[in-house]
Formats: sequence, C-alpha cells, structure tokens
Amino acid sequence: MDTVVGFLMAGVGNVDLRRKTNYLIVDSIKQIEDTFKEFTTREDIAVVLISQYVANMIRFLVDSYNKPVPAILEIPSKDHPYDPAHDSVLSRVKYLFSAESVASGRR
Amino acid sequence: MEVVDHETPSLENGKTDKEVEENANVLQFMDSMDAYLTLIHSLSSTLRRGWLELASARHSMGASRVNTVLLDHTSHPAATSLLVTQDEGKVDSGKPHFTLCKWASSSNENSLLGEKQSSQDKLHPQLRHRGSTELYEEKTSSENKASREVDDPVQKERSKSLSMFGTLVSPKLRAAQLSFEAALETLVEIANMRSEMVCTFDQVNMKLAGRKDEK
Repeated sequence: MDTVVGFLMAGVGNVDLRRKTNYLIVDSIKQIEDTFKEFTTREDIAVVLISQYVANMIRFLVDSYNKPVPAILEIPSKDHPYDPAHDSVLSRVKYLFSAESVASGRR
Repeated sequence: MEVVDHETPSLENGKTDKEVEENANVLQFMDSMDAYLTLIHSLSSTLRRGWLELASARHSMGASRVNTVLLDHTSHPAATSLLVTQDEGKVDSGKPHFTLCKWASSSNENSLLGEKQSSQDKLHPQLRHRGSTELYEEKTSSENKASREVDDPVQKERSKSLSMFGTLVSPKLRAAQLSFEAALETLVEIANMRSEMVCTFDQVNMKLAGRKDEK
C-alpha cells in the first residue's frame, strides 16, 4: 500500500474517463491475475511494477510472460525484501550457470 | 605483452574470431546481469528510505491524513510518463529503450529544464534579494525569473500531487515524494538493463544452440 502511495506521489497515477486506474492495491488473487492480464495488454503502459510477493501469487503468469513491452519489474515491498532467486528474468537466465548446462556443453 | 602465433592456420583464426565474439557476448551478458542486481540493491535502499519518510509523515500528520482513501479517483492523466523507443540501426533492433519524462504534463521542455534550473536556482535563493538595492534586483531578477518560470511548473505538479493529503503537508512527506522520484529513475535504469540482459542472453543462447547442432 505504501509503495503504491509513494509512486502516486511521484506522479505516475493515471485515471481515465471510465475511472479505470493504472494501479491496483492487492485484493484477491483473481483480481491480481485479471489486472496483470489487463496491464500487459494495454498500449499506454510501458512498465509494470509488481511487488515480488504479489508476483509470487501469480508466478505462473509472470514467468510465462515474455514480451519486451511492457517490461515487468519485480520490486521489493515494505514487509517482503527482494529475493533474486524468485525474479522471473533471473530464473530464466540462471540455467546458464547450472551444472547441467555446463555438462551438456562439454559433451 | 602480446604473443602472436604465426604458425596458426587461417581456419583456426576464423574459429578464434568466433570464440572471441562469443566471449564478448557472454561478458556483456554477465556485466548487464551484475548491473541489474546492483541497481535492484540501490532501488531497495531508496524504497526503504521512502517508506521510512512516509511512515514519519503519517506519524506527524496522522494516519487519517496519509491514507489510500484520499487517493484522487477523478479522471486525470499521469504527470510522469515513459518514452519508449526502439534502438535503430543495430543488430538487436528489437530492444526497447525507456526514457523517463518527469512532471511532463505541463511541457516536456519544462520537465527537462526544470531539474537543471532548480540546481542553479539554489545558488540564488529568493531570501537573499530582500533588502538589496534596486540595481542588484534588476540584474538578478531577470535570471531568477527565467529559472522560476521553468521550475514553477515542476513544483506546481509536485504540490498538486501532494494536494490529496491537504494543503499543509509534513516536510517528511515531501522528502518521501523525492525518494520515490529517485526510485522511479532507478526503475527506468533497471528496465533498460533488463532489456539489455534479455537481449544478450538470447544471443548467447542462440550461439549455444548453434554449437550443439554442429556437434
């Protein structure tokens, strides 16, 4: 909640004529999923900021997303620090450092 | 000290060049990943500062005055936006580049100049002009007028953004606003570093896949 308030103070909040906002304070998992799908298909959104602990609730959706724009950035929240092991981009590239990939390269 | 092996055949030189290119890609990927993690760490500390300042503001102003209930739900555009461009004339032309336009709802020039002029304005604070001679005021008023004209829209947008919490707000709330603005700048750098990392990762992946096919 404080994260949303903070970024709204920085001027990123947008409310259109239909009173639809470009931000969401976490409610139910279903609403998070629907909002994620909506934000990633809107043409007026370039970057989606999502708290990592919220991203973990819809991890399958976040990990399956692979478009360059809008970019999905997982950020820490007040009560849940950032964990690089859960970041979707880093988990996509980490297999390059796994023993399995090194072994397959040597065969 | 360079060691040149003149006995190496040209075919091996071709492979060496390929390996050099692959190594360069891998190094670029590692560098971008390192920069990405460093920026995330920086973002975490900036956000922590912002949350602390917001909590201080809530403590001094009261929880009812710093609340999500007060958020403006009337139709309004975002004052801060992002410009997305594609890198043209490069091999990886699909890589997007993000540029932050802070407080740009009044004009783009003002938002770009406002940050530069505000630092100059600090050298000539208005308080210094009280009680000074008319001549001094005439000379300096013209330069201050220019900087104020540019700085005013940015400050107006900042104040407008805080107006949902009331007319008089705690200095801690203003400090929190600046912290979250700094966090936004870091986030844009993270977005650019992320797109570079993904791009170089795809190149490294393609090379690895090609090598496996050759074997």
